[in-house]
Amino acid sequence: MTVPAQKPVRKLSMKQRYSALTHDLDWTPTYVTEEQVFPHTTFEGIKVHDWSKWDDPFRLTVEAYNKYQAEKDRRLYAVLDGFAQSQGQLGLTDARYMNAMKIFLQGIPIHEYDAHRNFAYLARYANGPGARFAALCQSLDELRHAQTEIHTLSHYNKHFDGMHDWHKWSDRVWYLSVPKSFFEDALTAGPFEWLIAIGFSFEYLLTNLLFVPFMSGAAFNGDLPTMTFGFSAQSDESRHMTLGLEAIKFMLEQDEDNLPIVQDWLDKWFWRGYRLISLVAGMMDYMLPKRVMSWKEAFELYFEEQMLGGLFKDLEYYGIKPPRHVDWAIGEKEILSHQVYWILYQYSHAAAFSTTIPDAEDQAWLEQAYPETWPVYRDTVWNKAQRVMDEGGRYFNPGLPQLCTVCQIPMGFTEPGDPLTQCQRQSVYEGERYDFCSDGCQWIFDREPVKYRQSWLPVHQIFQGNCGGPTLPDVAAWYGLQPGDGAEYLGSPDHQNWLAWHGQAPQEG
Amino acid sequence: MQFELRTQVIEPKRKTFTNLVERYGDRPASRYEEGSIDIQPVENLHYRPLYSADKEHYDPNWSAFKLADPYSFTDPRQYYYAPYVQSRAATNEAFVKTIDYVESRALFTKMPAGWDALVGEVLVPLRHWEAGTELVFIEGARWAWGTTIDQCCTYAAFDRIGNAQNLSRIGIVYGDGHDHALATAKDTWLSGPALQGLRRLIEELLAGDDWAKKVVAVDLTDRLLYPLMYGHVDEAALTGGAGAYSLVAQHFSSWFADHRRWVDQLIKVWLADETYAESNKAAFQDVLDERWTQIVEAVTDLAAAVDARVRCGAADVVAANAKELAADLAAAGLTVPGGN
Repeated sequence: MTVPAQKPVRKLSMKQRYSALTHDLDWTPTYVTEEQVFPHTTFEGIKVHDWSKWDDPFRLTVEAYNKYQAEKDRRLYAVLDGFAQSQGQLGLTDARYMNAMKIFLQGIPIHEYDAHRNFAYLARYANGPGARFAALCQSLDELRHAQTEIHTLSHYNKHFDGMHDWHKWSDRVWYLSVPKSFFEDALTAGPFEWLIAIGFSFEYLLTNLLFVPFMSGAAFNGDLPTMTFGFSAQSDESRHMTLGLEAIKFMLEQDEDNLPIVQDWLDKWFWRGYRLISLVAGMMDYMLPKRVMSWKEAFELYFEEQMLGGLFKDLEYYGIKPPRHVDWAIGEKEILSHQVYWILYQYSHAAAFSTTIPDAEDQAWLEQAYPETWPVYRDTVWNKAQRVMDEGGRYFNPGLPQLCTVCQIPMGFTEPGDPLTQCQRQSVYEGERYDFCSDGCQWIFDREPVKYRQSWLPVHQIFQGNCGGPTLPDVAAWYGLQPGDGAEYLGSPDHQNWLAWHGQAPQEG
Repeated sequence: MQFELRTQVIEPKRKTFTNLVERYGDRPASRYEEGSIDIQPVENLHYRPLYSADKEHYDPNWSAFKLADPYSFTDPRQYYYAPYVQSRAATNEAFVKTIDYVESRALFTKMPAGWDALVGEVLVPLRHWEAGTELVFIEGARWAWGTTIDQCCTYAAFDRIGNAQNLSRIGIVYGDGHDHALATAKDTWLSGPALQGLRRLIEELLAGDDWAKKVVAVDLTDRLLYPLMYGHVDEAALTGGAGAYSLVAQHFSSWFADHRRWVDQLIKVWLADETYAESNKAAFQDVLDERWTQIVEAVTDLAAAVDARVRCGAADVVAANAKELAADLAAAGLTVPGGN
């Protein structure tokens, strides 16, 4: 007698198992309407027919997430502890390098935190469980990044100025309203615009231009903690980039009526993001003692080649065109960092980082990186600044600059093809005049004047008496700046301490 | 004897960030403090949200529960991201060991009569309760005023979806590696009479306003549901020979003890706030007036479903626990409808 072999029962595949653990937890409400539970996904005009089409390629479970992340953090914090114990700051290329990290601490963790809060918004209000769970993981990641960045830089704060009051500065100080207004613009939009603004434009389109200069700059300049943080965040970032790409494709595939809305957002957020990272351009070319690559090279590689040449070719299939005003950005690649750093240089007496005239070695590097444009800036501005220094002074602009209503950077950018004529655009809305640094910012304003008329412009606020008083010392006190936080690097407490630590001068008291 | 390692000693200029010195004095700060206190932007917000005409994107007015200083609340567990994920990695690992053991010995097939139905028709469907509560906590993470509260809500949300996944794993093992038990559990959640009270409650909460009122309502429900399902029924399983139930239940009761530490602390701080104690109490009373009867009925229905499968006095336990909870609330000056 033979016993028939029992047919093996097919257990769940990995994909089915994942779906059972995640998507299958969802149900459609019947005691209330779906619109009542998810009230935020209709007002932007994006049409979604099938939320289940939102795919999450990582198939993470809570258990897997906790396991990977715990291991990564164990390694990161071990490096931070070792660095602090061994006084690792002594091995930096130069104390001047810290200025890049000051800008980083003042301008980045707070907005990682913003991103954490608004991915929570998406994790709550997206109608589909796949989108919600991906957003939930990203919300946790962004909180991780905010905290690990603060912890990474915490040791430096004990030894350098320009870091100790970053949270207040980020809400008050003039140049920090550039990232603040950028993120708050995104946070006050709806969930789909947020996904294009942050998930796609920021995390995908521009992420290499934003993070690589800081993280590679750290690696080149002996900043082990920041470099380690960068590596540690990398696998999170690749998840975020995937989510960003998934989001734009999802919107475009759901309904063709979504295309013009998405294109508009893409145009807006490309320019918004590009103006934001112009601060990085200035940092990259002027603030790193040991440079990784020039802004121009980075822009060509990470943006023109990888994004315009790669990503946008893929998106053509959906009818997406390269962002509006992209030619303007390309036209600026040889002048952007010079213009930004000159703005930072002349107003750093009211900032929480210091600046200095490029020294001979810097100038040689700038000359080979920008053979056409560097000599123009050297001859027009830096030689003059040097003459002031030689006479025992330091050039700071005594006035307050006009700010662009949209990007909030002082008006220091120039007309396309004419690097010596300042660009200024104006729009009138309900009888009030608004000024802009470029066609890109003006276009953004004209699309949503009701939003941008609300901009909290630091210079306007000073003139309106909302920033501690009319004089520079009043404003600096309201900002919470202390001597040593800003102004000229040479002779600053950071500079003097650096010399003392290396046996070249007595330590500052 | 130790060897003497020489390092260059550099006296730090400052011990921590200025806001922490102003708040706690000139002392070194913990990583919890540096990563949690005063992180959320609070002033000079630029634009009104497109979806809200009357509130900012960070605004204490997203809830009736308020604190004069949001950082008067701190997490008693001092969780920032790293210790949080490390703690959860450890508890997840313990759960996986348990469920693997239960699976390898086919323990769900070796339970006495009634327990089989209890796991499939009462326990596993609660994965949807957990998934619903995740949305309540992540809503808190978006609208809470202040990082310490937001942070606890975020971790609670992740915990809840983790609980939902663990209950689903129980369902898969219970279904011998298939998902039919999960499908049945979902049907039960959608139409089984014993679970409609809970489902209606969570759906109505999600459709309403005020994240903190929702957190309170969920917490009141949990305070009846967890001691029932993962306390009393666990005891009954041990004495009744349903070891598999007890093995998995322990993970939920220990999670709940950890979770309640911060919720309890938050409620305490709300009700003792120097400025808002009275209005917070009124908000809490609103929740009780609106939801208490519904909550008790919902968990009582669940208990009846337990008793119908394994007679263990579940309904009596809920009644007794509700009475005890009402007495605790009365001690805080709150009254439940129908009297404490």
